[in-house]
Amino acid sequence: MKTSDQALVQFEAVTLGYRRKIIANNVSFSIEEGEFVGIVGPNGSGKTTIVRAILGILKPQRGTVKVRGRSSERLRIGYVPQRDSIDPIMPFTVFDVVMMGRYGRLGLVRVPTSTDRSSVLEALAHVDLLDYASSSYRDLSGGQKQRALIARALAAEPEILILDEPTNGMDLASRTAIMDLIKHFHSEHGLTVIMVSHLLSDVANYVKKIMLVELQFFQVGSVDEILSEANLTRIYNLPVTVGEWMGTKVIIARGKSV
Amino acid sequence: MSDVEIFRTIITEFPYALLGSLVAALLCAYLGVYVVSKRVVFVGATLTQVAVAGIAFSHLPFADFEPVYGSMVFTVLVTMSFAWMLQSKTVPRDTVLGASFVAAIALRILMIQKSAAAEVSEIEAILKGDILFVTAQQFHLLLGVFLVLMAIHLLFYKAFIFVSFDAETATTQGFNARAWELVFYLTVGVAVSVATRVVGDVFVFGFLVIPAAGAMLTARKVKNIFLLSVLYASLPPIAGLYLAFKLDLPAGPTTVTTALLLLLGTWVLSKFKH
Repeated sequence: MKTSDQALVQFEAVTLGYRRKIIANNVSFSIEEGEFVGIVGPNGSGKTTIVRAILGILKPQRGTVKVRGRSSERLRIGYVPQRDSIDPIMPFTVFDVVMMGRYGRLGLVRVPTSTDRSSVLEALAHVDLLDYASSSYRDLSGGQKQRALIARALAAEPEILILDEPTNGMDLASRTAIMDLIKHFHSEHGLTVIMVSHLLSDVANYVKKIMLVELQFFQVGSVDEILSEANLTRIYNLPVTVGEWMGTKVIIARGKSV
Repeated sequence: MSDVEIFRTIITEFPYALLGSLVAALLCAYLGVYVVSKRVVFVGATLTQVAVAGIAFSHLPFADFEPVYGSMVFTVLVTMSFAWMLQSKTVPRDTVLGASFVAAIALRILMIQKSAAAEVSEIEAILKGDILFVTAQQFHLLLGVFLVLMAIHLLFYKAFIFVSFDAETATTQGFNARAWELVFYLTVGVAVSVATRVVGDVFVFGFLVIPAAGAMLTARKVKNIFLLSVLYASLPPIAGLYLAFKLDLPAGPTTVTTALLLLLGTWVLSKFKH
């Protein structure tokens, strides 16, 4: 595995957990600038824990997390949480929600300027939601909400875009549109992207590098190395078939009774 | 007594009752928008009971200080402990609040038993919502608290609103969500403790919930919710005091009932509109 001092993010023998409960033990990996990394694993395996450490929300119990070779540096992060984690009881407009992406740059007391408003409109245009700027966020469809949250992350002018289950609960069309959008930001704008997903097919067809997280066990490598039949069958404890159809990687799990 | 005479009497004889209930209503209505939108209404209910327990404590024979300080100390201590206890994954949030709520009521009853008769009548006046005898000193303290808390909330509006909407993402943007949550609950704690001493627990809890609920029924933008909530809160104290005089009723519950009728009217209108 390649690690270097120039890596955007570098984990060195990091142990993560909550009090006495260790979730990831002695994990080392690096994320280079411009990479598209997928984080996959069974439910409850610790994917979110790794992301929380990258976000700087969770401090390592042991080891160090470095940004560009320095443990004191902070990344400008565009974070897209699971959209169900947001309770939109307040009637925020889509513009309001995306403007929150500028709050980190504005600090505590500065009010948004015309530059901030322009950045918000630009981000909305990128995700094709400009016409919805004054609509209520809570009235949007699932796919539109996801686009709004991606726009909010982009409004922060991030060095790295981190998405937590961005296609969860979406229909096929919305799912494909969101994945194409993320791929576009990575390939056209050179944005470093980390995406957590439990949908292996989404990850397999869009990313180059994969982190497979199991409880207390961790693998990093290329899609072909990590998403092999033997590996997935062992991890999910199910017969898993990996194949290709019309240039698209297909991963199918067969139930034990099938 | 004619209507004009009633209003003249309120303004000349009980100016601090009118001003105090107005300021308390506006403060609670503003904070209530967060209380309702964060779905922590029971925190408001619990803190008002803790505030009354603090007032009862300050009336015990060995305690010799202004009741508002007892109320403030109790409420701030409980608020700070909430910041720790409400994070627990083993004890549900409503269980913590329910236990605190019933403990505050039990403590208050026990402390009233041990207070002198004269002091008991003062606590009972608060519980009954008898707000006519608000003093100049109580009003000035409430006004000071109102100005400070509103300044904090308006100055740090972005932090409160971001953490309230999406605490996790706010943290990634450099906002210490846990610290801002604590600041929020402390502002609610201080507001509740001082306002409860002045206008009573029913009034404070009522105005933490009702105006915000009414505003949420009608507003289409977040900033309008705050504005409408404060507007909703400004009418019932005047109407409530008038009705209390006219019908010889305790002013606090009358004001809350007026606010409820306003909420009901808003709800009916919003149904027609849709």
